[in-house]
Amino acid sequence: MSHGHVNPIDHPEVQMASRRGYMTGFILASVLMALATFLVSSHALPPFALLLAIMACAGFAVIAQVYFLLHIDISEHNIWNTVALVAFIPLFVITIGLTWWMFSQLYLRTMPMIPGMPGMH
Amino acid sequence: MLVHVPGPWSPLLGRLALSEIPYKNLILAPLFVLIVLVGLALVGWITKRGLWGYLWREWFTTVDHKKLGIMYIFLGLVMLFRGFIDGLMIRTQQMLAVGPGDNGIKAMGAIHGYLTPFHFGQIYSAHGLIMILLAATPLLVGLMNIIVPLQIGARDMAFPYLNALGFWITAAGAALIMISLFVGDFSHNGWFGYAPIFEMSYSPGVGVDYWIWTLELIALGTTLGSINFLATVVKMRAPGMTWGRLPVFTWSAVSANIIALTSFPCLQVALALVGADRYLGTHFFTAGFGGNLMLYTNLFWLWGHPEVYFVILPAFGMLGEIIPTFSEKPLFGYVAMVLATFAIAGVSWIVWLHHFFTMGMGPYVSTEFSVATMLVGIPTGVKVFNWAFTMYRGRISYTAAMHWALGALFLLLIGGLTGMMLSIPAINYMVHNSVFVVAHFHMMLLCIVYAVFGAVIYWWPKVFGFRLNEAWGKIMFWLFSAGTALVFIPMFMLGFMGETRRLDWPFDPHWAGLFDVQEFGIAIYVLSVVSFVVLLFVSIRDRAKERVGADAWGTSRSLEWLTDSPVPFYNFAMVPEINARDEVAWRREHGFLDIRPDHYKAIHMPNNTPVALYIGATLFLLGFALTWRIWWLSGIALLATVALMIWRSAKGDPGYVISAEEIARLDREARQKMPVDGGDTVPVGGFAGGQIMAYSREVSDQDRSHRGPKSW
Repeated sequence: MSHGHVNPIDHPEVQMASRRGYMTGFILASVLMALATFLVSSHALPPFALLLAIMACAGFAVIAQVYFLLHIDISEHNIWNTVALVAFIPLFVITIGLTWWMFSQLYLRTMPMIPGMPGMH
Repeated sequence: MLVHVPGPWSPLLGRLALSEIPYKNLILAPLFVLIVLVGLALVGWITKRGLWGYLWREWFTTVDHKKLGIMYIFLGLVMLFRGFIDGLMIRTQQMLAVGPGDNGIKAMGAIHGYLTPFHFGQIYSAHGLIMILLAATPLLVGLMNIIVPLQIGARDMAFPYLNALGFWITAAGAALIMISLFVGDFSHNGWFGYAPIFEMSYSPGVGVDYWIWTLELIALGTTLGSINFLATVVKMRAPGMTWGRLPVFTWSAVSANIIALTSFPCLQVALALVGADRYLGTHFFTAGFGGNLMLYTNLFWLWGHPEVYFVILPAFGMLGEIIPTFSEKPLFGYVAMVLATFAIAGVSWIVWLHHFFTMGMGPYVSTEFSVATMLVGIPTGVKVFNWAFTMYRGRISYTAAMHWALGALFLLLIGGLTGMMLSIPAINYMVHNSVFVVAHFHMMLLCIVYAVFGAVIYWWPKVFGFRLNEAWGKIMFWLFSAGTALVFIPMFMLGFMGETRRLDWPFDPHWAGLFDVQEFGIAIYVLSVVSFVVLLFVSIRDRAKERVGADAWGTSRSLEWLTDSPVPFYNFAMVPEINARDEVAWRREHGFLDIRPDHYKAIHMPNNTPVALYIGATLFLLGFALTWRIWWLSGIALLATVALMIWRSAKGDPGYVISAEEIARLDREARQKMPVDGGDTVPVGGFAGGQIMAYSREVSDQDRSHRGPKSW
């Protein structure tokens, strides 16, 4: 509210945004999602390889979205974006990592073996 | 339609049909008539008094954080009442249905008690969802909305329009769950949902769809609010309000909103995937076709546990404000308190799995989460000891607010100790899914409710300019506490006796006596609700007698008590300069409390806007249309929402400026209306350090917005 007299277009975070960046992010994320959908619906790979492939797609899509759409990087101009990144990485590692660990233990006990998965017996 | 839905569907009305309105139901039909009559009476009264213009100008289109906060609290109290009625119905059903044989009321179609299992399932699902997300959350968000900007010396939230948007989206979610009472059914598979029961094949009705879209709307509203809170505290602090001087309630708001911002997206994703299963025919959470039903539980509680701390942390913050004020001592261990708050927030991310220890992931994983859960006890213990040491040798005044705060401490103790028991997987296996767990988390949530009632009594004079009636506040406290004891002590006992949760038919006749006690307890809760209404009525009637000045309690400590009561729409006539951690206590001690600004600067304020209300309405329509699969209406509602957002963003809001002379006049008038605090004490002041700065030198908004990293 106290920013009312300043043109919002002049803000550094707005100035950093570019149409090219948004388009790149949008196209990259869309292509990766389409690729994952195609891989799954056509059963192009054996199940475990499929799992790894769509996980890779998701990982790249996350990076594309975070970098191109949310402009989260480690530049000095936008210190709060860096803070957001620093807060995000441990949360990501904790949530995905612990989920991964939990499910690997759970699958050992409850699920049939996924074809192609190492370490299952 | 992408998924085949059982039953009729038409392009115009989707699945909606007259038969979906339960006009034959002996509970809902009279209730509907009652609500329509009360609604008509209310509309008639507002029209007769000519209040529509006032309501529209001052409330529906407002972007003022205090009014939005009041509306949040009003919404929260209405939904608390709705959730309470659900609780009353659950208790009554179990009391009537207990025991062997066919004891149902035939007119209601029930074999046991008076509710059919399907209806009972909807009631406990709605009870849980409403109490956590539509009662506790709006009450806390409302209090944060009012108090956080005042505690940091800001004129409003960082994004006033976003604030209004968050409120109206939450209200749209509340409207959606309320309409499910009379149009169609609500979900019957618990407030958090069980995979794969919520899949189309097992829940073909619209109940689960109502549940999905209600949760999505609330999650969206709360996420927007959390962004706003963080931006406000980071960017809008008054000069001198360093991080080390931030009041503990604001600290708890910061930690809670970090949790909300990072966890609510998990819920939105989890429910979007449920939606994809139900609408698009995917198999994320089905039992077959590559679906993983355990993944849903994991994703849900990945949000669910941080959400639990999102609601408890602001409640802790409130206790941290109430207890020092009525102990006449600064909070013991401020730094430890803030660190404990953030420790709880941090640990909230690594404990979610204790909600499903019994899933079968084995001893290693369970041990990790068990240890992490026990870790929560350390910072919580630090907090409890800090509150206790704050009271130790303090000059405690047992006001109504202090009663509620002390009650919250007792409940925290019971809830915390039973939580420690539940964190041990071996015990958890024994009592999993029993009402022991239900009693445990009700202790924690009631701790929040106690803190909220305490906070409402505590901050009421700041917002409205008069104190609530102390006697009725205490009567309500004792009735509420008696109800709590009589409902939940038997519930702990029943949990040990093996009663599982959500029983529409408790078959064991040995439980009957305890159910009767619980019913008696809930009857006392009803009395406490009545006494709350009396409390409001008596207090508003006698408001002239209880009129207070800026420092309503005479012993308050943080910055919100510096400005006038009721708080003017611009919050502070001049932005104060902060000199100490407990600014008001510091000024009182040095005799500077009554210093008024000697000059004023123009203030820039945001304009009201109805766009937030419109977007809330279009999102409600979107949720309703998606629930009933009325595709054309969904499309229109979505397009309208996007169009409104783009239009508002492009238009912007230039705001308006109140001139310095106008502020001087308003401030003079506000001062004349207030009684002088402290009455006969002469403010003899002195400060060994020499000159102090009561108000910042440059507060013209033009200057503020261009402020660089330089000091003031």
